[in-house]
Amino acid sequence: MSVMAMILAGGEGPALSVLTAVRSEAAVPFGGKYRIIDFTLSNCVNSDIFDVAVLTQYQPRSLNDHIGVGRPWDLDRTSGGVRLLQPYQRTKGERGAWQEGTADALRFNLESIPAAADDVLILAGDHIYMMDYRPLLRFHHSRGAEMTMAVRQVPAFDAHRFGMIAADPDGQVVEYEEKPKRTRSTTASMGIYVFRRSALVAALTAGPGKQQHNLGGEVIPALVRAVKVYAYPFQGYWADVGTIQAYYEANMALLGESPALDLHTSGWVIHTRSEERPAAHFGPESRVGRALLCDGSQVDGTVTNSVLSPGVRVAAGATVRDSIIMTDAVIEPGAVVDRAIVDKRVVIGANAGVGAGETNTPNLKWPERLNTGITVVGKRAVIPPGATIGRNVVVAPYAAAKDFPGSEVASGETVGR
Amino acid sequence: MRVVALILAGGAGTRLGVLSDQRAKPAVPFAGRFRIIDFTLSNCVNSGIFDVGILTQYLPRSLNDHIGIGRPWDLDRSRGGVRLLQPYQGRGHKDWYGGTADAVLQNLDYLRDHRADTVLILSGDHIYKMDYRPMLRLHEERRADLTVAVMNVRPDETDRFGIVLTDDAGRVTQFLEKPKEAPSTLANMGVYVFNVNALAERMQALAPKHTDLDFGKHIIPSMVESHAIYTFPFEGYWVDVGTVDAYWETSMELTSGQSKLNLYDPAWVIHTRSEERPPAKLGPVGAARDSLVCNGCTVRGEVSRSVLSPGVYVSPGAVVRDSIIMNDSWVGPGAVVDRCILDKNVVVGPGAFLGWGDDLSTPNQRYPDRFNTGPTIVGKGAHIPANRCIGRNVVIQSEVDEAAFSAFGETIPSGTTIE
Repeated sequence: MSVMAMILAGGEGPALSVLTAVRSEAAVPFGGKYRIIDFTLSNCVNSDIFDVAVLTQYQPRSLNDHIGVGRPWDLDRTSGGVRLLQPYQRTKGERGAWQEGTADALRFNLESIPAAADDVLILAGDHIYMMDYRPLLRFHHSRGAEMTMAVRQVPAFDAHRFGMIAADPDGQVVEYEEKPKRTRSTTASMGIYVFRRSALVAALTAGPGKQQHNLGGEVIPALVRAVKVYAYPFQGYWADVGTIQAYYEANMALLGESPALDLHTSGWVIHTRSEERPAAHFGPESRVGRALLCDGSQVDGTVTNSVLSPGVRVAAGATVRDSIIMTDAVIEPGAVVDRAIVDKRVVIGANAGVGAGETNTPNLKWPERLNTGITVVGKRAVIPPGATIGRNVVVAPYAAAKDFPGSEVASGETVGR
Repeated sequence: MRVVALILAGGAGTRLGVLSDQRAKPAVPFAGRFRIIDFTLSNCVNSGIFDVGILTQYLPRSLNDHIGIGRPWDLDRSRGGVRLLQPYQGRGHKDWYGGTADAVLQNLDYLRDHRADTVLILSGDHIYKMDYRPMLRLHEERRADLTVAVMNVRPDETDRFGIVLTDDAGRVTQFLEKPKEAPSTLANMGVYVFNVNALAERMQALAPKHTDLDFGKHIIPSMVESHAIYTFPFEGYWVDVGTVDAYWETSMELTSGQSKLNLYDPAWVIHTRSEERPPAKLGPVGAARDSLVCNGCTVRGEVSRSVLSPGVYVSPGAVVRDSIIMNDSWVGPGAVVDRCILDKNVVVGPGAFLGWGDDLSTPNQRYPDRFNTGPTIVGKGAHIPANRCIGRNVVIQSEVDEAAFSAFGETIPSGTTIE
């Protein structure tokens, strides 16, 4: 039995605001030293799947740099290994060949599936979970399924975000509703599918499926009605971190005493590309409690309840609370960062306040995305010394002093473009 | 100029006690993530030298595992790259490496195969950051047979070094190996650039007379009169961590943030092999101050003035101060580790007290001249039983378990050796 994995990593992830302005969702940093896609990639190699294609389209450079030839995952192989698949033109000068959705992306790349692959594992590049795919594959074979989807229980109020299913006692899916407003089911598809190769090709190239763009919304419902589709229940931790709130919560959840996603003791190693950095240094005045810190960090100030990526510097007298700070960001003396997500190489000037005040005005441009008090600072932005930035504020990537209207930015505002 | 670097990494490093009884000194962990040899190896690649031979003899396995095919240093190359040069047998020849120069002599064919005209001889057990390129340029410009990197040392340490005297042009006029009375404080750092032909001639001429053929003792003194030897002054940080005291002091300097060794300089990265580990986790309660902490650590107790290698676990209520703890060691709840060096995979039982008492100067009974300043040293994989109180300058051998402690009471006095 030979299996190939295809990871859908071309999505924009618009709900992640400025974090995905400069990179695809799969390449967003997570948990300090990882990128979101590391979890899916590591699940593949830890499950002995060494033939992996990553489908890209939106802002792929960061992802390309990260995956490279696949060395951190031992996917730099002579046969198989990892391949990055980009959109391409099929005829000279063809326009409009961009991929319109997940099903479209797969259809474009069916030829990349080696003839020897009996099954194709379709994965999302933007989920956080640790999963051994081997039991799923065994289940798929034991049922003689055309397609098997991994499913999990979700609370009823969350059902509108997922594809909801009903299955018979043997696990065969008898009903599938995509993002229903109302449903009696609490079993949700996780967006993880094993297809018999022939079933995938047929679903995407024959019949009505030929025209469909969206896997979960269009192809799967039709498939459930037409062929034998099974549901494989997964019990472990799984999070779709596609919104700022979900992303923030999933990071913060790592700080618990025994977190549901246990990076430290599970024996399921998540591999990532890392730069060479020395040990983290804690200075004489540093006060750190409840935090994740990575190699190369230098902490002389106070850090509580926060996740820090490699190379972050927190100067003496600075405070970081309830925040996520990414690679090589600098928090200068006296600055306070409270409930913020600070992207790579941001500089928070001396005595500046980010996430200041008690007003929780939702972001005026994106009220439905930023309304829980989290301020997001884009990559390489520079917050001027002494500035006060409120809550639910978005600071665009590369924003500099000239982009700030004054030294005070009220809650809900957006700085820069 | 075709340059090959040879790193001497075969020494036993006996003065490091149990830290080097299972590995060669260059493979001893340092500053949390690194091995001592990483500094020299990284200096080579950062200086654009990609042909590197490493001469091993004493307990090479740890070093072999660490170097592997040289990937962390980008030395896994199709042409050149890193080679581990072990002692070997030939027809009519079955000798171990007798001395530093003898080791090089036995690998002369390696230099010839690389058509090297210049060889950079380095030591695998020094901590320093050095760009070798200016030294190589100077060597070439002066058409020197040998260029020796030198630095100024304190007058009280001259008896540990080779001391050189030079004329105004920097040419060496006198070379005294470890003199009792030194006329100068200019010391040989053990970093040499040799003209390969001159070196080969000297080694072959002297080898029949000395089975322990050594650079400092034999080769260099024999060249002072007859060859052009120049010095290259080095101003930066350099330290030989060959004793437990030096190792401990150097590590403590790093924790204070006052060390002149800047590990955080992106322009001169020290590369090492590292396992994939998650970020360090502090808390919910717990703190680290004046410390180096690596990925994979979990700190739930209090850590101060200490170096924690990857994967160290400090339990709730435990206190670690003035100590160095290597990979994956476990400090149990309520335990205290004070002024200790713990090798890898050590287990400190709950409530144990390591480094107890004010008598820092009670020397170790077996090695009174080596261990007499306080640090208690615990060898790799040793298990310290719960609630034991262990004094100063104690040596606990590798892999000992509870049975080894049965001969002692609750308190193990300073200066004891447990094996």
